[in-house]
Amino acid sequence: MDETQASLVRCFSAVFPSLAASDMAQASTASVKEWDSVASVTLFAMIEEQFGIEMDIQDLAEMVSFERILAYLRKADAAKH
Amino acid sequence: MKLIEAIEILRAAQPAEVQAFRVNMVCGFNPLHLQTFLTARLRQLFPDMRPEIAGGLYGDFWGNLERAEAATADVCVILVEWSDLDPRLGIRGLGSWAPEALEDILTNAKGRKAQFGQIIKRVSNNVSVVVCLPTLPLPPVSFAPGWQAGAFDLELRSVVSSMALEAARCRNVRAINPARLDRDSPLEARLDVKAELLSGFPYKLPHASTIAELMCQAIRPAVPKRGLITDLDDTLWNGILGEVGAEGVSWDLEHNSHMHGVYQRMLHSLSAAGILIGAASKNAADAVEEALRREDLVVPRSALFPVEANWGPKSESVSRILKAWNIGADSIVFIDDSAMELAEVKARHPEVECILFPKDDPQAIHELLHDLRDLFGKSSLSEEDSIRRESIRQSHTLEVQLGNGPEAADNFLKQSEAEITLNFCKSPLDPRAIELVDKTNQFNLNGRRFTETSWRTYVSQPDSVFVLAAYRDKYGPLGKIAVLAGRKVEKTITLSVWVMSCRAFSRRIEDRCLGELFQRFDIDQIEFEFVSTPRNGPIHDFLAGMLGVPPSPNCRITRDQFMARSAKTFQKVVEAEHG
Repeated sequence: MDETQASLVRCFSAVFPSLAASDMAQASTASVKEWDSVASVTLFAMIEEQFGIEMDIQDLAEMVSFERILAYLRKADAAKH
Repeated sequence: MKLIEAIEILRAAQPAEVQAFRVNMVCGFNPLHLQTFLTARLRQLFPDMRPEIAGGLYGDFWGNLERAEAATADVCVILVEWSDLDPRLGIRGLGSWAPEALEDILTNAKGRKAQFGQIIKRVSNNVSVVVCLPTLPLPPVSFAPGWQAGAFDLELRSVVSSMALEAARCRNVRAINPARLDRDSPLEARLDVKAELLSGFPYKLPHASTIAELMCQAIRPAVPKRGLITDLDDTLWNGILGEVGAEGVSWDLEHNSHMHGVYQRMLHSLSAAGILIGAASKNAADAVEEALRREDLVVPRSALFPVEANWGPKSESVSRILKAWNIGADSIVFIDDSAMELAEVKARHPEVECILFPKDDPQAIHELLHDLRDLFGKSSLSEEDSIRRESIRQSHTLEVQLGNGPEAADNFLKQSEAEITLNFCKSPLDPRAIELVDKTNQFNLNGRRFTETSWRTYVSQPDSVFVLAAYRDKYGPLGKIAVLAGRKVEKTITLSVWVMSCRAFSRRIEDRCLGELFQRFDIDQIEFEFVSTPRNGPIHDFLAGMLGVPPSPNCRITRDQFMARSAKTFQKVVEAEHG
């Protein structure tokens, strides 16, 4: 697990404490019942703070799973370097 | 604090039976992450309690404020933002910013100011209140360019200043200082437009974290330090007394030593606010006295007590000063320009806060003054603050007299014309009582602390007994120095609270207080909810003397035991006029 993924796992664990580590990679708005609008707002604020990025307001609607968010963060990281 | 840290704090397990600490949060926006930060900080502040924050309705600041009057809470926190004064001052509404609308916005804001003042008075009658007035940048509503302080902006800010002033004047209200917020949270890093549009939460996370931090400081202010011991050479003044003599040391612009004078001014201010100021210097005592007699000294000589000038270790001087003040090492600050002296004092008194005086850095000295205000600051001053120094001097004299044997002590106390005033009034409760309960460590039955609300609730019970004692003698007043509170059931009083200021020791006030309980309440025994703490040796020893054995939780003293073992008292006792 690289640093980006580890940090994202920490964010997910904080926002969804009942989510098992083994289910993390497959987590999505459909599979995690606690993932409501408030959880989304909290998760995105936390990710922005943890990764020092500003997520585009238009992109937020696409951020519906752990996998997609991880891909977004990797892309953002690659663009930075 | 970061959001993830706040959430992780909240996720940590807590025993199920812990007492709730209820906060009523009044705001017009979605409190979202601010609520998270505040809950997490409260959890750190009150590790033995479970913070519960109740919010109101989104967009209904004034309704939420009205409802706060009837809400049950330990504290009410109120956050006003510009849009609460008029929705056109927020970004979610699209009301007109046309020049002709400005007058109407001001009229609305002034109306809200009046409404705020009335409600805050009523709410603060029931609960402690913390107020934070608009923190976000004022939107560019006015036609004036941003660099210009236009009349609209100035008038609006004046309305907000009046609101803050009115709130701050209420006894039970603490307002967040905007200057401190400016220092800790830059204006341009406060508004989060995206979050405001997405969720109705207007703050960037660091700003929300800062507000939560300041609110916690206001909810539970740190216990102010009570004494400051200062070094003299290159600290109180510039120069080494032993080398340049009393006329050679300086604290003025002419000698490029002005910041020492500014430091003296601060010490004078602290002393006048009831802080004990002492001096510890490695010098010849007569040379120090000569320097302290200089008429241009900014801090008066009388403000310094005691002055320890000798060639022994500073830690020993500090020990003697602590003994004279009769306060704990954790209640004082020691300031010296020598890191070595600080280390020596710290090694002997680890609880003393030791601060280096940055003698060669005027900017750092200026910052030190701000730090001292934070360490010693109080929300308000009491009569006791103005008499503290003098009563410490008296106690010192008394200790000397009492050291001459019991007969000499009796004779001394008999001629001192002491008078104890007892106040039994539960409503209105004297605010000095909870201050004493909160600050007293040595003569404290069990170390139990209260919030304003829980204290009021406790004392107002129909079977409760409450006594606030004040003392004076021919040497001067000590002020209100003791609190007793408990419950009376049939012929027994169970004391849950008994504290007495250390300034009042050795006057047999404790004996007299118990005697008055037996007499006035016609009881056969007193039960003590005693708990041993690291600091309450004096009350332990007093109870041990009464009981004949070390005190235990719920120990009891009967009337007969008391009559046989209490010390002879000479005070005249009167009841407070409005009690």
